[in-house]
This record gives sequence, structure tokens and C-alpha cells, in this order.
Amino acid sequence: MASEILSVAISVAIVATALVALFSKKVSISLIFLFYASTLLGIAFTVYGNALVGLMQIVTFSGAVSVLFLTVILLTGESKLDIGATRLTIAVAAGALVLVVLALTQISPGLVGLQPSEYSDVSLATFSFLWQYRPWDLLILVTVFASAMVTVANLFSRET
Amino acid sequence: MVTDQVVFLSTGILLVFLGIASISYSKNLVKTVMSFQVVLLGANLALFASGITGPQSLVGGTRITTDSFVFLSILVGAAMEAVGLAIVVNVYRKYGTLNPSEIRKLRH
Repeated sequence: MASEILSVAISVAIVATALVALFSKKVSISLIFLFYASTLLGIAFTVYGNALVGLMQIVTFSGAVSVLFLTVILLTGESKLDIGATRLTIAVAAGALVLVVLALTQISPGLVGLQPSEYSDVSLATFSFLWQYRPWDLLILVTVFASAMVTVANLFSRET
Repeated sequence: MVTDQVVFLSTGILLVFLGIASISYSKNLVKTVMSFQVVLLGANLALFASGITGPQSLVGGTRITTDSFVFLSILVGAAMEAVGLAIVVNVYRKYGTLNPSEIRKLRH
């Protein structure tokens, strides 16, 4: 039952961030919430059984593709980065993300039941080192990516 | 009974339709590529959810197959988005706008 609640919570968070990303007027806000949607999806992949896919999702979409989007937005002059007006939104979104990750790290081991030892039975020894990642490592990874995104957005903002 | 698989599958399908709706609604090419990413996220989530049938599926190999496809989809999708963004930059350099209807007018 708790597993279903967790999956519904993650799904609602993903849909909410995707909705804001899709239908926001400002491209900078869209980019930030798209970053959160990608990260949440990576967390879902990680919690529900495959850390490799989750990490790949976070590194690729939350990291590389987000920076690519940011570069294109700045190149085309479509940014209109108004960080001053959106500081509250970013803070709330980042706080919510950290809370979700914290909740997942506290709940997930008992919910999912997929421990590293189970994967040794299915000859995935090649990627078994990825299971050495603890939830706190993932939390640090997500926090680093989020802070990098906010920092770069602040760097290029028109307000100083 | 609502299971994790059903929840994630329906979320993935919802994301795909939201992305398609946003692609048709968008007035900015960058937002169009962003909508494409949401479609991709939804497809990946649905594909991942199709493999969630419990820990015992790991033995049968179902989970490995779906996860491999998700992995492949992530890589291919990222490459496609990079190409799409490169096209967007080139279009902006040529026409000076990212609005599709304005670009259409400028072409004629």
C-alpha cells in the first residue's frame, strides 16, 4: 500500500512539474521545471529498481540536455531570465525536490525490496558497482545539479 | 487494483499526450523541443512501467529487456534533442525569430 502511495506521489510531482514546464510563459521557468521533471523521473527509475537507468536519466537529461537548452536560450536571446521575480518559485521548487528526495531515501529501502544482492543473480555484475551508490550519494548528485542550474541561471540573469 | 505499474503507465501516457498538445500549442521552437522532451520522458516512464511486475520478474528477464530499451531510448532521445536544438539555432540565425508562423511568413 505504501508503495502505491509513493508511486502516486512521484507521478503527481512529475506531472505537476511537466505541466508548469509546458505551459509556462517564460522559457527560463520552463527550463527549470523541465530539469525538475527529468530529475524526478530519474529518482523514480532509481527507487523502482534500476539505478543505472536512473543515473543515466539524471546525468543525460538533467545535466547535459538542460545545459544545452540553457545555451540555446541564451544564444537566441529568448531567455528574459528574470531571476529576481522567480526566486521564490525556484526556492519552493528546489525545497520541494529536496523534501521528495529525503522522503524517498528514508522510505525506499523497505518499499522496493530490490537490494544489490538480488541483481547478482541475473548476471549484471558489470554494472554492480553502481549499486554501491547509497541514497545519500544520489541526494548529493541531485543537489549538485540543482545548484549548478540555479547558479548558471543567476550568472546570466539581467539583474545583478 | 491500482498497482505501481498502472500508476506509472498512466502517468507516462498522460505525459505523452501533454507533450503532443504542447507541441501543437507552442509558439516558440525552443518550447517545442522542450515538449518533445516531455513526450520522451513519458515514453520512457511507460516503457519502464511495463517491466514493473515485481521482483520475481528479474529472474525471468523481463525487467532487463525493458530497462535496456529505456537506456537506449534515453541515449537516442538526448541525441535527437541535441540535433533539434542545433536546428533551432540555425533557424534563428537565418530568420531572426523562433515563432513558427513568423518563420512561415518570412519564407514567402
